[in-house]
Amino acid sequence: MPHVRTGRALLAAAALLLPLAGQAQAPRTAIDSYALPNGLRVHLVEDHSSQVVAVDLWYDVGSRNEVPGRTGFAHLFEHMMFQGSANAPKGEHMTRIGNAGGSLNGSTRADVTNYYEWLPSNRLNLALWLEADRMRALAITPENLKNQQEAVKEERRLRFDNQPYTGALVDRLPTLWDAQGCFAYAHSLIGSMDDLNAAKVEDVKAFFDLYYAPNNATLVVVGDFRPAEAKALIAQYFGDIPRGQTPPPVRCEQGLGTAARREVVPDRNATLPAVLMAFRIPAVNHADYPALELLGTIVGGGESSRFNKALVRDAKVALAAQALVNPFGPTRGPGAWAALAIANQGVAIDSAEARLTAELARVRADGVSEAEVTKAKHAYRFGKVSERQQALPFAEAVHFAALFLGDVRAVDTDLDRYDAVTAADIRRVAERYLRPENSLTLVITPEKK
Amino acid sequence: MRARLLSLLAAGTVLAPFVAPLPAQGFPKTPPAPMPLAPAQFPPFQEAVLPNGVRLVVVENRKQPVLSVSLSFAAGSVTEPGTKVGLASMVAGLLNKGAGARNAEQFADAIEGVGGGFAASAGDDFLQLYVNTLSRNAALAFELLADAAIRPAFPEQEVELLRTQTLSGLQLERSQPAAIAGRTFRQALYGAHPYGRSATEATVKAITRADLVAFHKARLRPQGALLVVAGDLSLAQARALATKAFAGWTGAPAALAALPPVPARTQAELILVHRPGSVQSNVLIGNTTWGPADPRRYAATVANEALGGGSEGRFFRILREEKGWTYGSYSELETRRGAGAFSASGEFRTAVTDSAVTVMLQQIRALRDAVLPAQEFADRKGSLTGRFPLQVETAEQVANRVATARLLGLPADYVQTYRQKLAAVTAAEARTAAAAAFRPEQGVIVVVGDGQTLWPKLKGLARSARLVDVEGKPMDPADLTPKASTLALPWDRLVARTDSFEVRLQGNPFGYQVTRLERDGAGWRHTDVTVLGPIVNQKTVVTFGSDGAMQSVKQEGTAQGQPMAIDVAYANGRATGSAKTPGAQGPTEVKVNAEVPAGALDDNLLQAVLPMLPLAPGAKIPVTVFQSGKGTAATWTVRVDGEESVTVPAGTFATYKVAIDGAEQPVSLYVSTAAPRRVVKVAFNGVPIEIVLVK
Repeated sequence: MPHVRTGRALLAAAALLLPLAGQAQAPRTAIDSYALPNGLRVHLVEDHSSQVVAVDLWYDVGSRNEVPGRTGFAHLFEHMMFQGSANAPKGEHMTRIGNAGGSLNGSTRADVTNYYEWLPSNRLNLALWLEADRMRALAITPENLKNQQEAVKEERRLRFDNQPYTGALVDRLPTLWDAQGCFAYAHSLIGSMDDLNAAKVEDVKAFFDLYYAPNNATLVVVGDFRPAEAKALIAQYFGDIPRGQTPPPVRCEQGLGTAARREVVPDRNATLPAVLMAFRIPAVNHADYPALELLGTIVGGGESSRFNKALVRDAKVALAAQALVNPFGPTRGPGAWAALAIANQGVAIDSAEARLTAELARVRADGVSEAEVTKAKHAYRFGKVSERQQALPFAEAVHFAALFLGDVRAVDTDLDRYDAVTAADIRRVAERYLRPENSLTLVITPEKK
Repeated sequence: MRARLLSLLAAGTVLAPFVAPLPAQGFPKTPPAPMPLAPAQFPPFQEAVLPNGVRLVVVENRKQPVLSVSLSFAAGSVTEPGTKVGLASMVAGLLNKGAGARNAEQFADAIEGVGGGFAASAGDDFLQLYVNTLSRNAALAFELLADAAIRPAFPEQEVELLRTQTLSGLQLERSQPAAIAGRTFRQALYGAHPYGRSATEATVKAITRADLVAFHKARLRPQGALLVVAGDLSLAQARALATKAFAGWTGAPAALAALPPVPARTQAELILVHRPGSVQSNVLIGNTTWGPADPRRYAATVANEALGGGSEGRFFRILREEKGWTYGSYSELETRRGAGAFSASGEFRTAVTDSAVTVMLQQIRALRDAVLPAQEFADRKGSLTGRFPLQVETAEQVANRVATARLLGLPADYVQTYRQKLAAVTAAEARTAAAAAFRPEQGVIVVVGDGQTLWPKLKGLARSARLVDVEGKPMDPADLTPKASTLALPWDRLVARTDSFEVRLQGNPFGYQVTRLERDGAGWRHTDVTVLGPIVNQKTVVTFGSDGAMQSVKQEGTAQGQPMAIDVAYANGRATGSAKTPGAQGPTEVKVNAEVPAGALDDNLLQAVLPMLPLAPGAKIPVTVFQSGKGTAATWTVRVDGEESVTVPAGTFATYKVAIDGAEQPVSLYVSTAAPRRVVKVAFNGVPIEIVLVK
């Protein structure tokens, strides 16, 4: 059930494009924002259009908070959150939510770890109680830890070590960033097996005390509730959980690259060579970000994209070609914009790489057409507007605005940033960021058996 | 008391919005009881009938500027002739492949360019079209829907493309045990009734463009069609757009032919579909039930939830959590316009299949024999009623429920009263309904699995039992035991040779295969290296004596990201060693230690030996093989399906088209008819991959 959100779906670029919410013409969403004395931030969005409520709790911790020797802890910890707590023994969290007719899950990303319950509105109290119980008294035992260390290793074997390209991407793409200046983003989200094996109960307990404290969490509730009742429940269940220490700030000093880098990565699962050209881009709240994301859709999103047309259909040098924007989730630090091509059998990877390079050069030199920009904006808007119809996706959008854009009201205004993008902007960001000296090229080659 | 406390807290928050109220009491050690449930309001909707007879349902919801529109016709597969099964699905698949003034590509561009999508599909009873988009594109959505429903062009080229894809899909289904189980189950339950039919290669090939045009003309008529609009649009706007888009479209569909009755069974029947060497078995147990408006459906829904609804049902808890026999096991009540069905399903390891079927039957009986314990009943019913709001969260979900109720002819207040009627069900009513709905004693038990292991264990579980092959043809249980081969192959005429093949995916280079037969002491060594893009990478070496007696097989490589390996030695009539083969839930490892019938070939050698067989038009040649990846023997049938001229890089050849019944992956092999015979092409049914001889 718990899972890592990473670049697992290499052939579904569109699904990897960042979630950003907002809608220009919509009325302002009424958001009731406050904090408990222990520091828990709360955003309530009342919506009685259906008898549904989403309880979505984000902890401000992800792989970016890990330090050398302790990689993979954020994800290991997410697994521990499903192993039972003081008043809800192992398995009971899921059974109770299931009996109420609801659903739940959790996921780990570079910047954040989330947990949610999505259920009928009269069970809001149950979801809040279960989340509060594990925030105050998680069952951190040697037995649960051992069990989940194995589960994480099994997840790595199944999802990464056994799949072509994914392992190479997860382990090597972080080297786009400089480990000296920015270890936060320059290491793998799933972590090193040695670090995971070395984890002791005391380490996990310390991690919990530091990051799973109310002052490091944000609770969003969207849906059908009475505000006074919801606030009373939140106060009763979360109010006396002690505040923790303030986690140390994440350090990341990183400019654009100054010299093209290139690495050959052997991959024992791959049978066809692939090339990934990655570029450093700024954080999601940067003014250039919307243009970079729409650029990804135009050149490498879907059947009618430029990469697919040029490399797959016309030249037939690639089995698949696409763009990936932030494959490990949105970041407050630097991001990644990448072009990926998997060569056809019998085609040298150089020719696929040459075509990709040519397509990127063409965008830098000639830009894109107004029609391409309009189509990309429409697809983006339809996706974002559709998300707002349901409580959980909207709760995620509220969190996104608060954490990544620094203002919860951006949930209504962020689509404006995308609507304002022009073909000239796209050409400008392509010229600024997709430069050879700002790139890391990974040539993934089948390993001889 | 409670209300007063809440209003005080509310006042506090108004006065100090950024300071939370103090905790009224400590953290409770037990989970809170459910809060009062507001009266369950089904979201409002409006209905109207257009002048041409189209029924209109509008679920207006201005929350977001999006819109979904569907248009449904009573034109499901029940309305197609028995000789043309698949016709309704082909019509649905072609509606947007050229319609009105747009060709297929322009149609896709029109909807995707503004942000949105189009889909169409046909089920048993209905054919439906859907459009989703931003509401500012409402006029375009109605225009595209009307073009697809009224003015499809059925271009010849698109018809043939879809036919090819449909045939590939059917061939692929023959390798998928779940699909075989479903087809067998439907046929057994419904007999000659159209619900029992499935498309076959013959019925799909029999469909002509004229059939498609005629079906469209007869069945996709406005009278009685259902147009459902959900989202940011009023009834008046929807009516105006529909009136404009559907201008000039009139008429009623042709009358429906009377349907034959659903067969009434008096005793249980077990059907075992023999899938040689299958390591897992697919089980379907069930019976027909009743029409959609039957009042027992509410109580039966609760009983079914307790039996096999999701991860808290008895099947899941016992068969997966307690026994560890399966990844999941569930039950469901299928609703159709005519008679529905109850079905219980699961996928089990071969060794525990009979035990699993026994437990499933026991649990089905338990639901009828005893009233559910109070807590279990409350939990399962609570889950069902609790889930309901999540199922009507969006306008589109609401619209789908209303549409289903109207199409099935359910009572006018069905959607509004559904949740209350579920909530009113008592445990005693659930038991009575279970007795009426779950009747495997008058139903069927379908098992798709290895007959050799399963037939002796399963045949006693029902009053009557029969054995069939994956094509549905009756089998004699005596045929389950592989017999010593009676084939005399001309081993003394073998010559050393190397063949190089190219693997093609949709005509593009995707990999290669090289086979080499060479002397190995007094005997022979056959080496096969196959690389299929990122999917398969394997090397197989088989050694055998000058008399054709198997000596060893070694295979290594990866398939679909999973490691595979075979290391088996043949001696003294036995095969011993180990094998690891890929599977849906990770690699399966088996210890091989089995008797090998005299004259059996290792299955990895079959392609190499094929040219030595007495191939001739219409030939059916039984070949005894030892499947070293599974550790079991089987008799496969090599069948010559016809003669074809085949052009490959190595030249143009007159060939026999050969199929192999019994092999897991259905393939067609093309063997040159002139001596020296060679395999010149291999086509994988259901996937666009071909292996062609280069030199």
